[in-house]
Amino acid sequence: MPEVPVDVAIVGAGPAGVAAGIGAREAGAKEVLVLERDWDLGGILQQCIHPGFGLRTFKEELTGPEFMHRWIERAHGAGVRFSTNTMVFSMDDDGSLWTMNPHRGIEHVVPKAVVLAMGCRERPAGAIKLTGTRGAGIYTAGTAQRFVNMEGLLPGKRVVILGSGDIGLIMARRMIWEGAEVEGVYEIMPWAGGLRRNVAQCLDDFHIPFHLEHAVLSTHGRDRLEGVTVAKIDAQRRPVEGTERYVPCDTLLLAVGLIPENELSRMAGVAIHPGTGGPVVNQFLQTSKPQIFAAGNVVIVYDLADNVSDEGMRAGRNAALYAAGDLPCGGRRFEIKGGKAVRLFSPQWITDGGDATVFFRVVRPFECRCKVFADHGLFSQTHRYARPGEMNEVHLSARDLRSLDPGVTSLTVDVEEV
Amino acid sequence: MTRTHTFLCVSCPVGCSLTVEEEEGVLVAVSGESCPRGRRYAETELKDPRRTFAGTVAVSGGALPVCPVRSRGGIPKGLLADVARAVSQVVVEAPIVIGQVVIADVCGSGIDITASRSLGGRP
Amino acid sequence: MTAGNYDVLIVGGGITGATLARELSAFDLRVAVLDKAGDLPSGASRANSGMLHAGYDDKPGTVKARFCAPGNKRYRELHEMLDFTLRPWGSYVCAFSEADCRHLEKLKDQGARNGVPGLDIVPGDVLRRREPQASPHIVAALHAPTGGVVNNFEAVLAFLDNAQQNGVELFLDTEVRRVLLTEGGGEVLGVETSRGIFLAPVIVNAAGTHSGEIAALVGDESIQIRPTRGEYFITDKAIGSMIKSFFFPCPDERGKGVTVARTADGNLLLGPTSVRQGDKDDTATTPQGLAEVMAGALRLVPSIPQELTITSFAGIRAADRTEDFRIGALARPRGFVHMAGIKSPGLTSAPALALHVVELLREELADRISMKPNPHSIPERTHILRFAALTMEERQDLVRQNPAYAQIVCRCETVTEAQIVEAVRRGARTVASVKMWTRAGSGRCQGGFCCPRVVDILARELHMDPDEVTRHGGPSRLLVGHTKAFWQKREAHHA
Repeated sequence: MPEVPVDVAIVGAGPAGVAAGIGAREAGAKEVLVLERDWDLGGILQQCIHPGFGLRTFKEELTGPEFMHRWIERAHGAGVRFSTNTMVFSMDDDGSLWTMNPHRGIEHVVPKAVVLAMGCRERPAGAIKLTGTRGAGIYTAGTAQRFVNMEGLLPGKRVVILGSGDIGLIMARRMIWEGAEVEGVYEIMPWAGGLRRNVAQCLDDFHIPFHLEHAVLSTHGRDRLEGVTVAKIDAQRRPVEGTERYVPCDTLLLAVGLIPENELSRMAGVAIHPGTGGPVVNQFLQTSKPQIFAAGNVVIVYDLADNVSDEGMRAGRNAALYAAGDLPCGGRRFEIKGGKAVRLFSPQWITDGGDATVFFRVVRPFECRCKVFADHGLFSQTHRYARPGEMNEVHLSARDLRSLDPGVTSLTVDVEEV
Repeated sequence: MTRTHTFLCVSCPVGCSLTVEEEEGVLVAVSGESCPRGRRYAETELKDPRRTFAGTVAVSGGALPVCPVRSRGGIPKGLLADVARAVSQVVVEAPIVIGQVVIADVCGSGIDITASRSLGGRP
Repeated sequence: MTAGNYDVLIVGGGITGATLARELSAFDLRVAVLDKAGDLPSGASRANSGMLHAGYDDKPGTVKARFCAPGNKRYRELHEMLDFTLRPWGSYVCAFSEADCRHLEKLKDQGARNGVPGLDIVPGDVLRRREPQASPHIVAALHAPTGGVVNNFEAVLAFLDNAQQNGVELFLDTEVRRVLLTEGGGEVLGVETSRGIFLAPVIVNAAGTHSGEIAALVGDESIQIRPTRGEYFITDKAIGSMIKSFFFPCPDERGKGVTVARTADGNLLLGPTSVRQGDKDDTATTPQGLAEVMAGALRLVPSIPQELTITSFAGIRAADRTEDFRIGALARPRGFVHMAGIKSPGLTSAPALALHVVELLREELADRISMKPNPHSIPERTHILRFAALTMEERQDLVRQNPAYAQIVCRCETVTEAQIVEAVRRGARTVASVKMWTRAGSGRCQGGFCCPRVVDILARELHMDPDEVTRHGGPSRLLVGHTKAFWQKREAHHA
């Protein structure tokens, strides 16, 4: 099989992968190759046509395609090579990649370091144990988004949305602007899964009813969806008797969570964290295999694309340093732990070889002032809110880490009301 | 008479809950914001609430059958439905260049609708 | 309107009709398979566990007992020739109590009388040495080395595909509404369907849950189907190798109970429940049913991670009131043959039943059709290439011949565009049939990624608009139109 030696190979040309390419080139890697299975660059953001991206990076609100356009231009300028229509179908435990392209056939890409940037996928109906009929008209929100925004096809005219993740909220508004009716959004939790501003601008603006602590109990219609039964649920997530209601609809969109896409990581024997579903990483975005790095939603599902591309830059840079033998290794190692208020976090361990940012999500909303902190007095910041739909961060400097008592081997991040 | 409104600021992902006091349509006081954008948001939301529109237009001979477009600024809320309709009636010939004006001064709003991506011809 | 003249009409293209069609295709006969569904398999042949039962379950003397073990053997003879996936993994019936252990002895004895080879009762610790995830509460298990599992979609498609290659014609969306009889009603002439009249001297009723209605069309009210719903879970492949074979609990009066099986493709299959219902087509799943499935599965294999289910489904078993298969030619009208009441172990028994019915036609209906061998009949066929199972070198060769093999459409199951195009060439018309032919959409994202791409390919290959593509035929359209409907009309006008 033809071998393609490169310095840094990157899997996926979404916001993490494109930025990783730039990071790698800027850190001095010569041959940086980004492998993308689609014909086009940009990944999922090409179908996220709403504004809301890039406020942090570009100081203005861009649509997904605009945001990616800027990054891709920058990547071309930095000398990143892209290979589209190229599927990475296997990864060996040394980080080498088996790719397939219609013109070049199968190739074995052998990099000195790899950045995994495959992103995430949506949780399907079967995973949430949705019951009822299995007619046409039940889609994940992202599948519907692809149909509408990329193919100009309309999945339905009367829509119910289960779950309030950001894609579901965005699709509520999108379907209305394509002339559909949205009957309501049903969320099992007592709070929104997505950002509060998306509830405001995608539901409230259009008077779409938002039902918290409600579940879709079953789907009806053998060939095409005809309706759903919804009900209020109690604290044990059991339907409250007498609250069942039939809602006629031809479409059910599911926005019930995203799962990091780690088939390749598993093939290569990369350790996966049971909480995040992504690779266990340190602050250098290095996985349990030292030559394999990971960035963006493949590691932990972010709420903002800015975080994803920032992380991509860092992973790309570190991969380039690793390829050149310059990545700091060794030093004191600290295990990161999540406190009571923390649901997920990344990285899972850090060293005092460099500054670190720990990203985390909270288990419940803090709607009043709260303190986001890491113990041993390493970090503390007061926030106005901390909500489950958004990512929080804690910054730890290498200098502070080095000053810790020698007995300290783990650090806890947490949130408290103040 | 002073009236109190609660707005959820959509200027950035933080999503601050604003408490807004108004007299005869004039902003008197804002609280709850984390940055100066909050006050600006409250002011426009009281006087002339606006939203960015994003959708797609049909493409003739393109690599994709539709191309994403957006408004270059906020569209008055009351006009959004008309804008959605106007955008659905446009057909743009490929190739399309990002930023290209697809509809100028959409529905008399003074705002242009532009392409959000470049799109080549059908391969 | 006459749609055609045939020697044999098979009503129903499930596993029963498919295996018979394939056996009949060895003869110089004009055979048509008629099915009301928009894609095949449908009904019970689509939604079952895919298990090849060893044959110890059925009371000696019943029709089921007579055909189960031979059917199991026949699958092993045919699966390479017809290229469908069969896994001879063996099965265990698990005993949790003294009473269960006595039951195992009874099953073993029954199996021996039914001609089931190799049955053996092993103590719980021997089972757990072979299958470490089996419950610690299992005290003994009946091992059946001939128990196995097939990909039930592939099996039905393989029999039908081979039959079609040998000249059998398949008519979908074709609902039989009337059986045409000679004056006086003594003999069959053909059937009237939603797509015209089909004439033939022999009609076989293999209509599954609807075999009672087809029987009633000739005045035979003796077949009374009592639809029984079974619900199932399928899990992510990540845990498919938790077990090496499959586990049954001790059967009770309702059936074989909730089992835990490793499917032919390496998922876990949990289920089924067994609930009598009135409706013959209602395959909705229920919270109660799925909860029962999970509880039953955890009893056998307590370590199954519950969050790793990827889908659930329900099937309807076509149980006759006698609880046995109903096979045979009617005395009146002549030419009408039943293959009805086919419930578990119907999938297993089907190839043996098909051979039996071939003999029956030869012996009892020789005056109506002549069973001369078809000199052009080929007993083998190959399935669509399973790209995921090929070596790197084989893949490379394929991609060089046809770049569409490099376009992965379903990334969970590694299904390429070339495979989907081939499925369409062989008759797939719906998203569900593409899935049954190729596994595109069967993986952990359940079509979230590939569904829009499959719709594109179907539309392109079948020269239809994407919004006409259906999930499973009939009115199951996936999309309701274009976002810019007016534009499509204009483009069509210009083109």
